[in-house]
Amino acid sequence: MKVTLAMKPMTKGFIPIEAESIVPKNFLSGTDLSVWRGNRELRLDEAFSVSVEGSADRAEDVEVVLSGDTCRLKRVGEYMDAGRITVLGGIGMHCGNFMSGGTIEVHGNADGWLGREMAGGTIVCRGDVADYCASGYRGGRKGMKGGTVEVFGRAGDFLAESLAGGTVVVHGDAGDMAGAEIHSGTLVVHGNCSRPAANMKGGSCYVYGTARGMIPTFRKVGTVQHEGRTLIQFTGDLANRGKGNLFVKDYEYLD
Amino acid sequence: MIVKDAVCPFCGCLCDDIEVEVEGNRVVAVTNACELGMTKFMGEKRMKNPILRDGNRWKDITYDEAIRYAADMLLSAERPLLYGWSGTHGEAQCVGVHMAELIHGVIDNTSSVCHGPSILAIQEVGHPGCTLGVVKNRADLVIYWGSNPIDAHPRHLSRYTRYAEGFFLENAFRDRKVIVVDVRKTETANIADEFIQIKPGGDYAVLSALRAIVQGKVDTIPRTVAGVTRAQLVRVANLCKSAKFGAVYFGLGLTMTQGKYKNIRNAIELISELNRHTKFTISAMRGHYNVYGSNEVNTWMTGYPFGIDFSRGIAFYNPGETTAVDILARKECDAALIVGSDPAAHFPRRCLEHLADIPVVQLDPYPNATTAFCNVQIPVAVTGIDAEGTAYRMDGVPIRTRRVLSTDYLSDEEVLSRMYALMQEAS
Repeated sequence: MKVTLAMKPMTKGFIPIEAESIVPKNFLSGTDLSVWRGNRELRLDEAFSVSVEGSADRAEDVEVVLSGDTCRLKRVGEYMDAGRITVLGGIGMHCGNFMSGGTIEVHGNADGWLGREMAGGTIVCRGDVADYCASGYRGGRKGMKGGTVEVFGRAGDFLAESLAGGTVVVHGDAGDMAGAEIHSGTLVVHGNCSRPAANMKGGSCYVYGTARGMIPTFRKVGTVQHEGRTLIQFTGDLANRGKGNLFVKDYEYLD
Repeated sequence: MIVKDAVCPFCGCLCDDIEVEVEGNRVVAVTNACELGMTKFMGEKRMKNPILRDGNRWKDITYDEAIRYAADMLLSAERPLLYGWSGTHGEAQCVGVHMAELIHGVIDNTSSVCHGPSILAIQEVGHPGCTLGVVKNRADLVIYWGSNPIDAHPRHLSRYTRYAEGFFLENAFRDRKVIVVDVRKTETANIADEFIQIKPGGDYAVLSALRAIVQGKVDTIPRTVAGVTRAQLVRVANLCKSAKFGAVYFGLGLTMTQGKYKNIRNAIELISELNRHTKFTISAMRGHYNVYGSNEVNTWMTGYPFGIDFSRGIAFYNPGETTAVDILARKECDAALIVGSDPAAHFPRRCLEHLADIPVVQLDPYPNATTAFCNVQIPVAVTGIDAEGTAYRMDGVPIRTRRVLSTDYLSDEEVLSRMYALMQEAS
């Protein structure tokens, strides 16, 4: 089953729409769903032109395609456990929060908290992601616990904060504090980033570019070969009695 | 008439030993207060009555009309923002939270642009803090990190630290060491025993290095960390470990620089580390006299200290998304009520551009920068001068501010309660 949701132009275009109901399994029982614009509840068809092709018995066979100006559409795919969501443009905050299965593909840019606290499944973003991609919630000890997030553009600050499982790969640069407080899991940044793996406890963080503002409390172990690259290996964060591994191609201290 | 033991409604020190001399309806002299407090008590040129923007000029309106305007504006909004709250008393903040819940709006206070990051850090790793009295009587080492009390909290030094007597210190001035950490040599640095000058943006690295040094891992630390020599870091770590009771006070130099709440988290974790060796505490130098109170009131009413979004009927909290600067910069609200703060003087230009596009009502005794963005401004009594109510000191101690003179102005609480009553009738 393919559900196509084309966003209608809004009169109050800047107020975000919260659409945690846009999850593949919800469409098994029809399209009588609601979304919220600020404090007003809207029927799904008030915000979107809805069209459904085919039918399905299980969420795995449902694909939701979002088109139009979806940059301010929040919480799409929250708690998703199966199926597929394809976003043709950009997507708003909290896409794929808590997801445990299925696939979300975003062709444009994703706003903050993409894949927050996700436990499984796959998120692919073809554009850039804003801050807190694959991170945790405020005050929470554990962020993403499983699954895969792959970003082909750049990432903002606090990428994979408190990562506790799963894999996060960013093909471009990442911002400040990438992989802060990592417990376990793997973070790979193909470009440069600033202050990676600050206060890490465990897990692995790879930076194929330059780590700027390198945290001074990592102990240099030596060089290793990793997928055809020569990387410098550090352990830390010593300040946190951490036993994580940080691999960087190059690094600069703020000295 | 002289009013003794008045409470100064300026900064988070909330000094409660002020003497105010009143003649008729005017404050004519203030003793014990610092220059900031005195200026507030002596403040003049208040707005006389509510005003409504009418084309290019202001029109005088009655309180009833102004309150009705505000109630209608908030009721018809899809995502109203209720911002400010730090410059008013707890009872008014309370009405504000009820109002936000009723109209399904977003309520945020000024901590989102000052010590919000401190709260985020505390939510991650806790707060080893204490009251100011404990520091005054026990601390033999005080560290001001990214704060400059001589300019911002002038009596902090004389009432609680550098120049204060201490019950458990024989000669407090001699026995109490003061360390200042900052990116530039401030006035406070001039009276410190040790000054650590950090390169801008280097606080996190220095804190990490100190944590490792306190654990005895000196060898890994590079020769200099963000402009600070390893030798100085080792000396400071030893000073901290050999203190009987240390207290760290941090300001916006730590909360609002690169890394924000991670800086505070690192500082708190340094304090936890030091507590394996001696007694250490850490607290924020809160700015507005009742910004701590707005966090308290919000927390006990909603579970969250600031940036609370009631759009969906339940409280949702996510600083960076539900905080005033972010909402305004992203043009995500369609009306704003400003109480007890002046966002136009502090917010980025992009936020003000949106503030100029939406209806805004402000409660403030004086014309200020935000007045230029208002549709309606309602003058109110000043808490601690002609209104009374509860405020929380920077260490979390509630102190009831006193009324030192009587005027006809309504208090924030009275104006907001009337607004709230109209909203209850309508919904």
